[in-house]
Amino acid sequence: MSVPTPRRHLFKATAVLASVGLLAACGSTGAGTQGGGDAGGGIASEIKLKGIYDTTGPVAYAGVGASKGAQLAMEEIEEQGFLGEDVSISLEEVDTAGEIERASSEFSRAVADPGVAAIFGPVAGQQAATVAPMAEQSKVPTIFNQAGSEGVVIGDYTFRGTAPMGTYYDIAAEHLEKEGLTDVAVIYNGTYPTFAEIGQEIFPELAEKHGLNITSSQAVQSNTQDFTSQAQAIAQDKPDAVVMLLIAPQSVTALTQLSQAGYDGQVMATSVQAAGNVAQAGEHAAGLMYPVDFSAAQDGELAVDFVKGFEEKYGETPDAYAAEGYDSMWWLARGIKASGDSSREGIRAGLQQVAAEGFEGVMGDLTFEGNDMRVSGVLVEWDGTDEKLVTQ
Amino acid sequence: MQELLNTLTLGSIYLLFALGMALAWSTIGILNFAHGAIFVFSAFSAHFISDFVPLSMPAIILISVLVGATLSALTQWLAFEPILKRSKNHRSAELRILIGGIGVAAIPIALVDWATASAPFGFANSSYSTQVYEIMGLRITNTSLIVIIAGVGIAVGLTLWLRRSRQGLGLRAIGVDSETASLMGVNRTVMAIGTMAIAGGLAGLAGALQVFQLQAMGVETGDQLLIKAFAMIVLGGLGSMAGVILGAFVLAGAESLIFAANMGTWVDAVSFGLIFLVLLVRPQGIFGRQEVRRT
Repeated sequence: MSVPTPRRHLFKATAVLASVGLLAACGSTGAGTQGGGDAGGGIASEIKLKGIYDTTGPVAYAGVGASKGAQLAMEEIEEQGFLGEDVSISLEEVDTAGEIERASSEFSRAVADPGVAAIFGPVAGQQAATVAPMAEQSKVPTIFNQAGSEGVVIGDYTFRGTAPMGTYYDIAAEHLEKEGLTDVAVIYNGTYPTFAEIGQEIFPELAEKHGLNITSSQAVQSNTQDFTSQAQAIAQDKPDAVVMLLIAPQSVTALTQLSQAGYDGQVMATSVQAAGNVAQAGEHAAGLMYPVDFSAAQDGELAVDFVKGFEEKYGETPDAYAAEGYDSMWWLARGIKASGDSSREGIRAGLQQVAAEGFEGVMGDLTFEGNDMRVSGVLVEWDGTDEKLVTQ
Repeated sequence: MQELLNTLTLGSIYLLFALGMALAWSTIGILNFAHGAIFVFSAFSAHFISDFVPLSMPAIILISVLVGATLSALTQWLAFEPILKRSKNHRSAELRILIGGIGVAAIPIALVDWATASAPFGFANSSYSTQVYEIMGLRITNTSLIVIIAGVGIAVGLTLWLRRSRQGLGLRAIGVDSETASLMGVNRTVMAIGTMAIAGGLAGLAGALQVFQLQAMGVETGDQLLIKAFAMIVLGGLGSMAGVILGAFVLAGAESLIFAANMGTWVDAVSFGLIFLVLLVRPQGIFGRQEVRRT
């Protein structure tokens, strides 16, 4: 899953290119600095991290969730003495507020600080793709959550702690096949890269693999607000299921209008509908299913402990963003422990070592393609007020 | 026929949003870029209250209208009036008001964004429920009927009020030449604040009805509609309320046709392309008057 990114202008891209150029001109300035570790390796007593992501603005939900998960993991790592009894981790957060140029300038500042050992990067795809070359250029290990776009995991120093939605959407197609819901209509947001990719490429391939027949495929834009025409066309065709790949406000309207048009078949959506984002659709959303990389309803031991710890700390149920932040922080800690070195180079090597082996997180068994996380995901059903597991 | 009905509903939603913006722009010359933010904030305020107390549709609409009117009037009084007073000429005032509007808009949007964590909001706790009617094979909801009646009714009422009432005449006089209008006894400041209050109230009404119709609103909804409203007003002809009505239904009709042709990602390109073509032939818009430049 990736979060939507706002439109940007040319001057912002120019500012970003200028920042990258400046870093390049500085040559090995960033490369030579080793943050958070002893000069000769080893784990420093204080490991300084920087979090550069949206905690306000259109994708604040992703940044805030990831931050909460990471903070909880940090507490546990310190309490357990996972990296040593006297080792503490600090995470200094900066809000990018949906601005590419702000992400870029804050990232430049962070890499120039030799005390910063690693960075948790922006959650928005365009921001992440902007700073990724800077991370590679300055050789600062950077872990991104969300940011499902191309151009984010581009080398040895860029890592992603969120599995792209398309990599686990197979469980949705598998379920439709299992239930005999073979005639499927697709409605997708064609201007949102993740949904466009699933709607145009990934789901048609999955449909072929699972013997599903796509009866219609309709694209809409991110600013489409009314789905009456599409809903009526689908209701008239009466497919067994509808695959709905829309952003949060759109999905509330589309679900309502599908129901009002008389459609009562299965609707299969995406993790964007998780975390109560379809609650406003009320009864119209009951029965909606979607694959997620994490659900608070998961009953694995680690997941149950995580939910309990999160609820105790924040008084709320964790969402997938929090789980991703939590597992990403643990990935970092495991990496430092694996390499026995909290310097930038040590963290890079450790993260890659852990990625090569995989580990068990709250999202389940975590595997990696290079530096990019993969999860098997679970299918959940929204019953109108809460999520319940459909698959384990 | 069903497509026509859908167009009528969509056009009415667009119309309700654009009316307030067109009123302020074509009379007192304020192109208020905070209109979208006022629209979102008004609906959010009603959502916020209805989350605590289950409210009926009229109560929700009333809250939204009052919040919109207050916010818009305050914007005029505290932001736009000082800008107008300090600007040396009309051109610089227009530009400063545009920028001022963008600045003002950022505040309510940031508040809504913070309060909702960017999740869609609606009136799920309201006592109102949508009913679907099927008449001669056509499906329509009670909410759609309310939206159509409100959109068309208010648009026609506003047009007649501007054309036939004394206050409407005063407003139109300000739109033509504010200095001469002042000399003729029109109190520009009071009229401007009153006009902005009406425009804001219409934004609030549009916000509430849109949430009832579409079930939810996102924090960016206002910005998306702002661009469409701008296009509708320019297409219809600045200064013509009838033009706004036509612009809204032309845009909605174009969108419905494109969706019917399953070309959903081409909606903006085709719709705005058509508008561009019309403006090439009639730069003043369909119902706009030709500008005469005296040398």
